[in-house]
Amino acid sequence: MARLTRARLRRLFRRESIGVDVRSAIGLVGTNVKYLSFALLAPTVVALLYSEPPWPFLAAGAISFVIGLTIERAGRHGGHLGIREGFFVVSVTWLAAAGVCALTYLLTGEDQLAHPVDAYFESMSGFTTTGASVLTDIEGLPYSVLFWRQLSQWLGGMGIIVLAIAVLPRLRVGGRQLLESEMPGPEIEQLSTRIRDTARRLWALYIGLTVIQIAILAGLGWTRIDPSMSLFEAVSHALTTMPTGGFSTEARSAEAFGPESQWTITIFMAIAGANFALMYRALIRRRPGILLRDEEFKVYVGFLLAATIAVTAILLGDDIFNGEEAVRHAAFQVVSTMTTTGMASTDFNAWPLLGLVLLIGLMFVGGSAGSTAGSIKVVRHLLLGKVLRRELDQTVHPEVVGRIHLNRHVVDERVLRAVSSFILLYVGLFVVGTLLLVVDADRVGLDLRLIDAIAVAATTLGNIGPGLGIAGPMGSFEPYSDFSKLVMIALMWFGRLEIVPIVVLFTRNYWRA
Amino acid sequence: MIGAGQVGATIVEALHDEHNVTVVDLDPGRLSALGNRFDVATIEGNGASRRTLQEAGLLESDLMISCTSRDEINLIAAIFSRNLAPETSTIVRTTNEEYLEVWRERQLDVDFMVSSELETANAVSRIIGLPAARQTDVFADGQVQIVEFDVADRDDGDSIVGVPLREARIPRDSKVAGIIRGDRMIIPRGDQTIDVGDRVVIIGSPDAARVWGDILSENKRRLDDIVIFGAGRTGRAVARALVDQGLRVRIIEPDPKRAKYTAEQFPTVRVYQAKGFDPEFLDRERIGQSRAAVFAMQDDAKNHYAATLAKLHGVSFTIAIVHEAASTEVFERAGIDVAINPRQVTAEEIVRFAHDPRTRQVTMLEGDRFEILDVTVRPESEYADQPFRTMPIRGALIGAIVRDGQAIFPHGDDVLRAGDRAIIFTESARATQVEKAL
Repeated sequence: MARLTRARLRRLFRRESIGVDVRSAIGLVGTNVKYLSFALLAPTVVALLYSEPPWPFLAAGAISFVIGLTIERAGRHGGHLGIREGFFVVSVTWLAAAGVCALTYLLTGEDQLAHPVDAYFESMSGFTTTGASVLTDIEGLPYSVLFWRQLSQWLGGMGIIVLAIAVLPRLRVGGRQLLESEMPGPEIEQLSTRIRDTARRLWALYIGLTVIQIAILAGLGWTRIDPSMSLFEAVSHALTTMPTGGFSTEARSAEAFGPESQWTITIFMAIAGANFALMYRALIRRRPGILLRDEEFKVYVGFLLAATIAVTAILLGDDIFNGEEAVRHAAFQVVSTMTTTGMASTDFNAWPLLGLVLLIGLMFVGGSAGSTAGSIKVVRHLLLGKVLRRELDQTVHPEVVGRIHLNRHVVDERVLRAVSSFILLYVGLFVVGTLLLVVDADRVGLDLRLIDAIAVAATTLGNIGPGLGIAGPMGSFEPYSDFSKLVMIALMWFGRLEIVPIVVLFTRNYWRA
Repeated sequence: MIGAGQVGATIVEALHDEHNVTVVDLDPGRLSALGNRFDVATIEGNGASRRTLQEAGLLESDLMISCTSRDEINLIAAIFSRNLAPETSTIVRTTNEEYLEVWRERQLDVDFMVSSELETANAVSRIIGLPAARQTDVFADGQVQIVEFDVADRDDGDSIVGVPLREARIPRDSKVAGIIRGDRMIIPRGDQTIDVGDRVVIIGSPDAARVWGDILSENKRRLDDIVIFGAGRTGRAVARALVDQGLRVRIIEPDPKRAKYTAEQFPTVRVYQAKGFDPEFLDRERIGQSRAAVFAMQDDAKNHYAATLAKLHGVSFTIAIVHEAASTEVFERAGIDVAINPRQVTAEEIVRFAHDPRTRQVTMLEGDRFEILDVTVRPESEYADQPFRTMPIRGALIGAIVRDGQAIFPHGDDVLRAGDRAIIFTESARATQVEKAL
């Protein structure tokens, strides 16, 4: 009797003390893995087209399907999936997706991705649309593996759209809730009140833009305007532009292509870094005026233009490039870095220090909220700027009531607090990441300049891609130690999920009833 | 008439001569006060009751005015009225701008709706637009403006002040409709002069009115930086009207919640959460450097004190929103430049609608001593087809005519035609006579 009572008590205690329905949450992660396994059919088709062995993809697909199904079955159905479970689901889903991808790489038996940490790094870099790579000989990989690598970023981008449009605002994270629900007018209010519907529409836009980019790039290749652009290259690069990913099938990234292709990619990177919901209204609903009225969009474009002009001046001043070339490479690198895409049209490693510092600065700007871009994002900078201005104003005029508006609507003070704490967390993580990289490089005797460590921490946390030094745009992250790579994996993961959903998992109150 | 408060009383005063008025109110004291002063029938009862309305003779009436201070009562009275007597026109007073919007969208079955806040805000904004003006109003869709100016002692007023009018350089498209000297009103002839200390009533185009303002105002600069004390409904309506004019506006409001709300509503306006009576605060924020201040707090005494304090701090132009009927005089005597009574403004607006159907608009000046009428000329009128030169001056003057929607500022040779709308300045006592003559 006594034992039974104690057991019952313990069960009661446990039920009350854990306030998160972990079984339901895990079940949903299983479902996600199950659906992801179908995506492996795409590289299978590519493998068959190029007469490469399709079995690694089929096997990885089958294994992840079974695992996903098992976890889904093990999980509870109809359980409580609320905000708390949401944090868990998104955090773990990204880990699991990268796991599925890494499994595929391991099964292909490619030497460059044979080490589990390397395979997982490449996978996390893919699904977080970062674009950092441990590959040293990209062209040595079979077409099917290259295609799967590009596709992992495109799928990650789709995930991010749902995350940014539907999930994070629900979890009260990220800058988007203030863009969406607070814009004026009935039509602008919500694209659709139903999340599933909203996600579908924005996916359609995402797919549509990808298809248009493929068509333009392939057209440039087909008409021999840019002979280096084959259909495979066109598809591959479009797949990593819209998700602001940055993986390339070329060792020299976009440097391998002609100016026309580079300009095309620049424009599509800039589009990918803009708010998708806003673009949907501007392009699909044909209300382009809305772009000019959106404060974040204006600042976003302003940043891009100002930085392009500055970098062009640096390039011209140092005689690195002349004329159109200078503008093109400046624009490409600026747009690529700020939108956190991470493709490169030239090896900017060799640029003067001022140019590099500027690019590192842009890594902290990021794209717009509601895009596939990572990093801090323009709207947070905009709001922080307004908060700072108010602080200064109230120092001189203590009675002034400062309410902060965005797009003519009042921003809630709690949102402003969240923005400030996000930026603090972001900078904190960046500092910790840099320190760990420096300490670890010292431990293993890797020759690492401070600016390299800074660039690598910023580029992984901001989901950009290339760093500086050995990990520069034409280089590879391969020389870093396994521990450093794990640190970078963590930074990519944190950065992609806007830090907070993961960090809360490590707080005690999250788990308490 | 439903409601015998300040608005009701003002309307009754303007209408009782020519119309049979029945007043309904819950307060017998107010009713007997009105009944003693004017020849009107009074009924004690609730205006939002069908029986009371029937008792008041709604079925035989042409017009029902509901002007209590409670919006819902006014609306219900109007709804009942529409059901009981569909032919009777209805006028409703409201304090809620939303109702006004709904009415403009034709979703409320009311013939005319007036919002005290909005009318007050418009009055303030017109005055701010013409700083030297004591009062101003527009006719004919803004084509004709009438302004009452104070004539101050100025160095460069020579072109007009102290010279016979026929030699004075009067701005184009404008006319001196009347000169008020002490208690006397003069309808000017060519040999008349305008003297320092007079008040002049000008009828002219808005451009001409601005030129007059420049000549007569003490500071040439347009009023910008305007401070509003009090962010209640009236204060916010005034702020909205001024912001819409493109002026820089600051608001002082002691209540934290209201201050916050106001800051949310007006992104471009600086809102201070502070008392307007704190000299240190006024000094620190350089309130004295503002061109004009509007006092829109709930309490007349507070407005008075704050306005005097602001004057001490150097604010040159002060406008107060007053609530008691007697306050206007007190404020103006105390040196506050303009006092506006929302109830008075509302009453005027209602009276305009209630007047002779040929009369489109009425503005009262100097309390209710003078009126500006907008009358359409009948073909049978003795003045139709007469040139202006030959018209006798009998305490009234035609300042402008509107012909085919176009405003004309007539000279001696111009001819008044049937169908013209004449904008006339006259003493209130003669208003009926003038209407009849035309």
